[in-house]
Amino acid sequence: MSTPTEVPNKTALTTLREFPSNVWNSIFRNPLPSTDLERASTSFTNFFLHIHPVKVNKNTLRPVYTLGLGLISLFLFLILIATGVLLMFYYVPSTTQAYDRMLDLRGTVAFGIFLRNMHRWSAHGMVAIVFLHMCRVFFTGAYKKPREFNWVLGVLLLLVTLFLSFTGYLLPWDQLAFWAITVGTSIAGYAPLIGRQVQFVLLGDTTVGQEALLRFYVLHVAVLPALLVLLIAVHFWRIRKDGGLSRPEKAATPAPEAGVVKLKKVYGLQGFVRGPFTKVGNVPDDSVYSWPNLLMAELFVFVLTVSLILVVSLAFNAPLEQPVNVMHPPNPAKAPWYFLGLQELVSYSAFWGGIGIPGLMVALLFLVPYIDRTTHGVGRWFARERLLANTIFLTLVILNVIFIAIGTFFRGPNWTFVSPF
Amino acid sequence: MTGATGSRDRHLPTGEPNLPRRRVLTWLSSFGLFASVVLAAVSDWFFFKPRVTYGPRSRFAIGKPDDFPPGTRISRDVERVCIVRESDRIAAISTTCTHLGCIVGIADTGFACPCHGSHYDQDGNVTSGPAPKPLPWFQVTLAPNGEIEVDKNSQVEPGTYFTV
Repeated sequence: MSTPTEVPNKTALTTLREFPSNVWNSIFRNPLPSTDLERASTSFTNFFLHIHPVKVNKNTLRPVYTLGLGLISLFLFLILIATGVLLMFYYVPSTTQAYDRMLDLRGTVAFGIFLRNMHRWSAHGMVAIVFLHMCRVFFTGAYKKPREFNWVLGVLLLLVTLFLSFTGYLLPWDQLAFWAITVGTSIAGYAPLIGRQVQFVLLGDTTVGQEALLRFYVLHVAVLPALLVLLIAVHFWRIRKDGGLSRPEKAATPAPEAGVVKLKKVYGLQGFVRGPFTKVGNVPDDSVYSWPNLLMAELFVFVLTVSLILVVSLAFNAPLEQPVNVMHPPNPAKAPWYFLGLQELVSYSAFWGGIGIPGLMVALLFLVPYIDRTTHGVGRWFARERLLANTIFLTLVILNVIFIAIGTFFRGPNWTFVSPF
Repeated sequence: MTGATGSRDRHLPTGEPNLPRRRVLTWLSSFGLFASVVLAAVSDWFFFKPRVTYGPRSRFAIGKPDDFPPGTRISRDVERVCIVRESDRIAAISTTCTHLGCIVGIADTGFACPCHGSHYDQDGNVTSGPAPKPLPWFQVTLAPNGEIEVDKNSQVEPGTYFTV
């Protein structure tokens, strides 16, 4: 019965009995792993898992090093795609209907208000977490050679994230939306030479209206998400090519020389891979298998992120102000918190606050890995050797936070100074 | 097959045959690719710049002169102008803040912007705040049917009134 020659003689009953396992085995190329070889195989024979290396450095898994911030950003983006696509089924980008649709989400659509809450809070969260991720990369010196370009991609990702949230909050067509976009696009108008033209093209008109709503909608649901997905793909690919997931350079306990060199292992195509991570058989082995170690860590972060968003969305409703009243701007007219630092700067000088200083900051961010060419202090938080760089960066971060705090809590009607206490 | 002359080196340093036709094709295709990118960028710009807009009209009638008795200062927020009538003179001052485009409100001292705190005097000159320019004044004319017409496309010197 067990010899291969008898296979054609199998009865229909056997075929039926083996049907589930045959289907399973045709999808997953190997059983749930019980040996190291199978653990390796699980990672590289699965389309979704082969983004991971077969093995990762133990230090990668230290939660207090990366804090999982990049991963949380990705998961928030996935939540945003899922909830965003669902919201699209009920939304109409029209100045006469958009606000009513918001009320419908609140009143009639099953789970409508909950989806909108999830979308809104995830968007706020993503802006914050992407920013914190950038801070983590800076304070651990993780942008240094050979990861310079991935830092640049990261800055681009931050900008696209901000622009996504900017285009997103016009869509409810409430007072906040209308006046924030009026202010925001006027800032673009201050750019030298092409400013007015850019403002006109962005709005599709001289004032914020139907054309602007349609343009921002298309940018928000199609153009920018596609761009973000592309950038994320390259960002992740570069992590692998630039030396793997970021980690402390050495473990607290140095790896023993014992577990060295087993040349008998053959790992197929891995032999072709050059660069810093052909570790197998060549270096002291302080790595662990991605399945299940890395995967479990990621799953934990995912569950944590989703749970947090769910709880927040149950507890707090996303704000919806009065419908647009072109005659009466709310006083004060405030942007969402992450743009309030910018709005505070803008209240001193439109050009310097809206174009000059932010432009300079973004340019500096792009250039960080090309200005700081030192190689020391990589992989440790606030390394002593990087005192100067970290101090400068921390100062700018704190300044940003201070401006945001002033804009949020200390500005009242006509943008005059008020005390929140 | 190759028609290369003997005086030319038939092989590149990499060992590949040095074919003029292949080089020409490479140059042509590279140029084609570059040109199509430039063309796409330029035409996209014109595509995204609308030739027709659907927003509020820039030239509009606001009513008979008698609708605005002397001493009136009325802010018309749809058209974003403030109509000022002093004795027999009428003017139209923009109520779009020159800072970032919010609508300025009428205040005791002139105009005040709710967004970033710019203040203007009665004639639209900046008295405080981040606004970089005074509020523009628009041309006011009398249409044949006796209504006052404001043209936001043509600005006039501040202080220019239309005598009815």
